[in-house]
Amino acid sequence: MNDDIETKIQAALHDPQNVGEMSGADAIGTVGSENCGDMLRMWVKFKEEGGRKVIDRATFQSFGCQTAIAVASVATELIRGKTPAEALAMSGEELASPLGKLPPMKIHCAQLVEGALRNALGGEETVAPASAPSLLDQFASPKTVRIKLQP
Amino acid sequence: MMMTSAVDMTMDELLEACPGAQRALFRNYHIGGCASCGFRPDETLAEVCARNDGLDPAEVLETIRRASAEDERMMISPPQVKRLLESDSVELLDIRTREEYEAVRIEGAQFLDHSLMQQILTNKPKESFLVFVDHKGARSLDAAAYFSGHGFTNIKCLRGGIDAWSVQVDATLPRYTVE
Repeated sequence: MNDDIETKIQAALHDPQNVGEMSGADAIGTVGSENCGDMLRMWVKFKEEGGRKVIDRATFQSFGCQTAIAVASVATELIRGKTPAEALAMSGEELASPLGKLPPMKIHCAQLVEGALRNALGGEETVAPASAPSLLDQFASPKTVRIKLQP
Repeated sequence: MMMTSAVDMTMDELLEACPGAQRALFRNYHIGGCASCGFRPDETLAEVCARNDGLDPAEVLETIRRASAEDERMMISPPQVKRLLESDSVELLDIRTREEYEAVRIEGAQFLDHSLMQQILTNKPKESFLVFVDHKGARSLDAAAYFSGHGFTNIKCLRGGIDAWSVQVDATLPRYTVE
C-alpha cells in the first residue's frame, strides 16, 4: 500500500468520525455477524432539506478490518446531505475516495461499508462474499466453556 | 496439493490439505482475515486469485508452501517468554475465553476482547512485541497472522499455550481441560 493512503488510513483510525450506536436512527444496516465480532453496522438519520429527504447523520460500529473502519469513518462524513438514492449510487471505491485509491486487495474493505449502507438504505440483504470462517472468526469468537482444573 | 492442479482445488480442500494456508494468505495478501476479505469454501484458489487483483496462482501456491515455516517462525517457547517478561519487553495477549482467563492466567497477560483488539490495532506501534497465548498453542497462530496481516512486525505465539507454560515455567499454574 502506498505511504500516502496508509497515512490517511492511520489518521482516520486515530480519530475515527461518527463511531457508535445512534439512538433514534431512521435506518440500520449490518453486514457480517455480531456473534463473531466480524461485522460492520451503520445507523442513519434523515432530515428534510429543500423538500428532499437527505441523510442528516450516519454512525457506525465495527470490530472488523482496520481499513473498513477507516472507510466507514470517511464514508459517514461523505454521505451527509445526500439523498438515499444518491448514497446508494455510490460504490465502495467512491465511499473510500477521501482516503485515496485503495489498492485492489483492500477494496473488499470498502465493499463491507457499501454493504452496510445498502442494507440500511435499501433494506437490501447483503451477502458477504465470505462464508468460510475467517481468521477473526477463528480466534475472536466469544464462546462459553466449562473448564475442569486438573488436580 | 503441491501439484499444478492445486490451484483448482476448492478453498475447503486446500485448507484441509494445508491448515496454515489461510494464515499465509492473510499475512501476505490480505485475504481471509475477516468478512470483507474472505472467500467461499467452494471457490477455487484460482478464482480467489483472479478476484484479488489477478494474483499469480503459482506465486500464491509458493507462499502457501512456505506457510508451515512461517508458522514455525511465529512460535516462541515458554522459557523465552518468561525471560522477556522479566525484562518487561513484551506484552502477553490472552485469546482464550473469559472463563479460562479468569480461572488460570499468566501474570500480566491481558484478556484480548474486541475493545482491546481495536485499541491495539489502532494505537500500538506496529513494531510492538506481542505474544499471543491460547490454551495449547493452536489458535494463537490465527491471531498472530491476523495482526501480522495488519502490519505488525514483531508478533509471536506461545508455543504449547498456557498448558506448556504450566509444565515448563510455572507448575503452580493449574493445567485444565475444556468440557
